[in-house]
Amino acid sequence: MSFYRLTSLLFILVLLLTACTPASPVTPEVPTAAAKLPDSTDVPTDVAATETVDQTISGKLVIYSGRSEPLIQPVIDAFKAEHPEVEVLLKAGSNSEIANALIEEQANTQADLFITTELFTVQSLSQQGIFQPYRPAAADLLPPEFVDPNNNWIGLTLRARVIMYNTDLVAPEDLPTSIFDLTDPKWKGKIAAAGSTNGSMQAQIAAMRQLLGEEETEAWLQGLLDNEVTFFGGHTDVRKAVGAGEFALGLVNHYYYHLQLDEGSKVGVIYPDQGDGQLGLITNATAVAVVKGAQNVPAAQAFVDFLVSEQGQKIFAEQNYEYPLLPGVPLREGVQPLESFRLAEVNIAEAALDSDATFDLMEKLELP
Amino acid sequence: MNRSDAPMPPALVSPWQRLRAASNRLTTRSASPVLLAGLAGLVALFLAVPVVYIFLRAVGADAEAWQRLLQVRLWKLLGNTLLLMLAVTGGALVIGASMAWLTERSDLPGRKYFRWMFALPLAIPAYIGGIVHLALLRPRGGMLPRLLENLLGQPVYTPSPLGFWGAAFILILFTFPYVYLLSGAAFRSQHASLEEAARMLGYRPLRTFFSVTLPAMRPGLLAGALLVALDILAEYGTVALLRYETFSSAIFVQLSGRYDRSAAAVLSGVLVGLAVIILWAELHSQGQARFTQMESSWRPAPIVRLGKWRIPALLVAAGVTFTSLLVPVGVLTTWSIQAVLDPETLRSVLHSGSMGFSNFAWNSLWTSFLAALLAITLSVPVALFSVRHPSRVSRLIARVCQVGYAIPGVVIALSLVLLVNRALPFLYATPLIVVIAYVLRHVPQAVRASEAALNQVSATLEEAARVSGRTAVQAFVQVTFPLILPGLLAGGALVFLTSLKELPATLLLRPAGFDTLAVRVWVWANDGFYVQAAPAALLLVLISAVPLSFLLRREQIFK
Repeated sequence: MSFYRLTSLLFILVLLLTACTPASPVTPEVPTAAAKLPDSTDVPTDVAATETVDQTISGKLVIYSGRSEPLIQPVIDAFKAEHPEVEVLLKAGSNSEIANALIEEQANTQADLFITTELFTVQSLSQQGIFQPYRPAAADLLPPEFVDPNNNWIGLTLRARVIMYNTDLVAPEDLPTSIFDLTDPKWKGKIAAAGSTNGSMQAQIAAMRQLLGEEETEAWLQGLLDNEVTFFGGHTDVRKAVGAGEFALGLVNHYYYHLQLDEGSKVGVIYPDQGDGQLGLITNATAVAVVKGAQNVPAAQAFVDFLVSEQGQKIFAEQNYEYPLLPGVPLREGVQPLESFRLAEVNIAEAALDSDATFDLMEKLELP
Repeated sequence: MNRSDAPMPPALVSPWQRLRAASNRLTTRSASPVLLAGLAGLVALFLAVPVVYIFLRAVGADAEAWQRLLQVRLWKLLGNTLLLMLAVTGGALVIGASMAWLTERSDLPGRKYFRWMFALPLAIPAYIGGIVHLALLRPRGGMLPRLLENLLGQPVYTPSPLGFWGAAFILILFTFPYVYLLSGAAFRSQHASLEEAARMLGYRPLRTFFSVTLPAMRPGLLAGALLVALDILAEYGTVALLRYETFSSAIFVQLSGRYDRSAAAVLSGVLVGLAVIILWAELHSQGQARFTQMESSWRPAPIVRLGKWRIPALLVAAGVTFTSLLVPVGVLTTWSIQAVLDPETLRSVLHSGSMGFSNFAWNSLWTSFLAALLAITLSVPVALFSVRHPSRVSRLIARVCQVGYAIPGVVIALSLVLLVNRALPFLYATPLIVVIAYVLRHVPQAVRASEAALNQVSATLEEAARVSGRTAVQAFVQVTFPLILPGLLAGGALVFLTSLKELPATLLLRPAGFDTLAVRVWVWANDGFYVQAAPAALLLVLISAVPLSFLLRREQIFK
């Protein structure tokens, strides 16, 4: 009878999978670093000085990340190679989705660490008492504006908001020079950007609200909508679409241009708004914070140490083409140094207070 | 029980024997129903808690949240959702019923194979089908437009899979099998004399079809249509992927947007209200689905010869199969082979997530399996109570147990997050909460399967067992249970299948480091890594095909 056949099939399937299931988590495939360690104890390596090295760390480390998994996985793998006793569990989602979870879980803390794509969220969560202070030794080396005065969060890397373009579709003389050119009807239907759930986009709107005021920001967003900009859930879609020639222009963080160039696409990049009287380049920082009530504070602190260490910062610079905040860590070849640009100056603490207004604006305009 | 039950002169019956006879009557007629009613009531209570909670949250949300939503969003979402629901239901009805007619009532070549081909898309979650069709058809960048451009030397307009039409197209492709199966069964069981009578009255074939054949199938079609409608209300992955905003996707965005749950609760309340109306209609239509059959003279309706229409009909059937089954499976297979052949991609496939590939495949299996087991266990008392002790109370309980159909995954997730985190914090952020979500959502399927199975076992068998000295529990375990086991397994297979495919609740409820196949496919595809997503998607489809083919073999048209 067929159902006997099925039940036995299912049973076998279940058995097979039980057999395949590793009793312990799959060890990361970074054999070189792991193999160099003489034994399993935490031997300090040549990483920048950390405070917790003498303490043996182990157990589960739960990381909530607003950064997408491919961008954060390399540094987690490197950390696991250093600390094989720590089982790192990652939950990645959109910034605000994770932030909501952290607020919801205040009385029942699950996460040890929060990694974010922009500072407004950490700032706002920090004001709500979601984090506990921790100041790694390397904090003194970072630019002071990227370390929370109360040490509730610490910045990791900088990213610039740029316009990438498909070189087959845009002639050099037609290139836009400002984000306001994106509302020009000649680009109608030819632009891709990330939508309202994306942290970097939210941060850009928050920054513009502060620099230009509500009205001008609204006019710009309305201009994008009128210009039939296609809004994707994330920037990977945007870069791939521009690389494939689906769109002429894409509003992205600068490293998406590099990642797409790596795939052999014909793409170029514009660092916008550099002229006199223009806005300047909008940047946003990624940051990390230790959650109040974290179950594994030693491991969380060790992970923060690792992120701001030379080794951790190098991974962000090398693999993600980001701007490391730790001075002295070289940029990946081809990345244009931020010093050569005029940056828009945003008061992060102030903009964080207005985060509700940013959401209101996006909702009012029905930004996808 | 024993001889004391036999009629004997009153004088010879001892008081003791009389007492035993009375107590026996009590246990058969009332004691066990009380216990059963209690159990069934508890199950209903458990299932109703999340939906009641969401309603209370929605009603209790501050006026400002309601006002903000009422201004524009609510109406727009309502319009969007209803429009999609109508379009997909209509499309699925047309395709499902016409394909069923072709395989059951016509001489379509290869109809034996087409039966399987039309039912198997149920193994493919709609969002996975959507991912494949999006990669193929997306304007300018899709594989098809680019191929055409290379061939013809200039860009060619191809329809976009994005937005309303795309979402409707994809959802029709992956929901029409519901209608196909139900109307196939209806065509199969239709009486030959029905149409013969119409023809004798001088009706032309077409008129016969529209005024006799189709109306006779109304119960089956209606049931299929309402199932599709409920499915569309709950659908998250496809509409989010194809960027068409409905209630489900708007709730998801609310949850990941501003730091405010009340708007999400309001939207959920409205969505559940809408779904409850449809569910009510569906339950109502089930009552009408029993049509009279003239058992003695039944013979199958004759097969219609397609004649010159054979080839066009074959092409249409092949086109439906091609887009809903062959293309998704083919593309996923190709991508999977690409992923396996490229060492770097393979590495990222095997070691992504916190735990690696085998771990999240395993998570998919055990959570769905446990959910199926729990759902079946919970369904048995409800089904026993409603089938063996029909009353107003038992019917009410059985109806309440259907409520899971009307709570979309996002809403279950929202209510569990709010509820469990406050009331049962130790359960929060464990894989068990994911299992609970599956059970809440899928118990209705198990209840229906158990009821159907029990309906086929005559109560006289149990009574015979009782008469020969078994207790109620013994009678159930030794007589009823073995007989209904195949039916229970079918219910379990259905719960297992739908839990495997579940996406939004898993996405929102999973603890850190806990991934399932569906979640991994979604995470990868959302980041645009289709090749990486393919092996997990293909495995998900293949695993789903196992319980599905078991279920299909039980269907009348596959016997």
